[in-house]
Amino acid sequence: MACDETLTKLRDVMKQSSKAKIAWNAVGPDTSIQSLGFDSLSILDLIYDIQQAFGVEFEAEELARVRTVRELANFLESKQQPVC
Amino acid sequence: MTQLRYLIEYAALRFGLWLLGCVSFAAAQRLAVRVADFWYRLNVARRRTARDNIRRAGISLNSVEVDRIARESFRHFALLVIESVQTHKTFAGQTWQQHIEMDIHPETMSVLKEPGVGVILVSGHFGNWEVAARILSCFKPVVGVTKKMSNPYTDRPIARRKTHNRLSLTPMRDADAGRFLSVLKAGEILALLVDQYARGRKKVMVDFFGVPASTHPSPALLHLVTRKPLCFGYCLRTGPMRFKLVAGRPIRIPPTGNRESDIRAILLELNRRLEEAIRLTPEQYVWAHRRWRTT
Repeated sequence: MACDETLTKLRDVMKQSSKAKIAWNAVGPDTSIQSLGFDSLSILDLIYDIQQAFGVEFEAEELARVRTVRELANFLESKQQPVC
Repeated sequence: MTQLRYLIEYAALRFGLWLLGCVSFAAAQRLAVRVADFWYRLNVARRRTARDNIRRAGISLNSVEVDRIARESFRHFALLVIESVQTHKTFAGQTWQQHIEMDIHPETMSVLKEPGVGVILVSGHFGNWEVAARILSCFKPVVGVTKKMSNPYTDRPIARRKTHNRLSLTPMRDADAGRFLSVLKAGEILALLVDQYARGRKKVMVDFFGVPASTHPSPALLHLVTRKPLCFGYCLRTGPMRFKLVAGRPIRIPPTGNRESDIRAILLELNRRLEEAIRLTPEQYVWAHRRWRTT
């Protein structure tokens, strides 16, 4: 289960990468990534920003099946040392 | 009014495809050259764009030579259409290799042949990129990234003709955010054109023939986030329905951690390779394409 710190940090990164006008405070763990305005091109920006912000290296294709904010946070935590 | 124009274009397309099915390839080629010459005379704006671009790129400043290259470029595009319509016949059988000569760097050939390895393949509006995609699909499945045409009536039949079981298309901005990543994960080829004019806030101004051109960062970003091999190639026409597929060594630019400079370095290298190819055969570049519309 993704911790709050990861979810908050992830939401900040997404807010920076997305061009969509969204009520970011309402974005929760079960929000789908697609609903946040990411498409096949802009997701590349997000992945790059995530790799930089979280300092993790991973194969971007591993994210091909990730659909929600929670799944993404879980994925990132699995790649990091435990933080919470 | 727009709807009427779309329907007229659709009717013209259907008639053109029907006509091409009735005549020999040699006759279709002759017809294509005539139509291109007529279009070159008629379409003043595109003719001017082509000539201006040739001068701006420094290909030639001699007006006779500029006119010759621009006219040949129009003919080249018409032939490209004819050849693309023919590809399903020419490359469907066992004899397709008779039409192709390959000049592919061994490292690039190795990634193309290695099963399970996704490849980012970049080209430009140079040579016949439709044939290139068709040939590459003999190595592994190809997914071409395309811009949807504004006319929905012509978009569908054209897309249908381009695709077959190992060659499919995907829009540049697919609502499925994981689309490009899935293609590479499946070990397929993701094919993009680097010289399309880019709109939006993500565009990068990168020199093309020494003149800043608005460029999509996507090939560079894809390479940076997936680390998949990034190759540049093109397919030159060497005779009637004969081609040479050329691809150099995969592009390797070590990431510095600075996204903007990494993207710029990769795009500059892609543009450099495209320029090099165009300088050798400028007649096979689509000069009428408005590459530098902001300068």
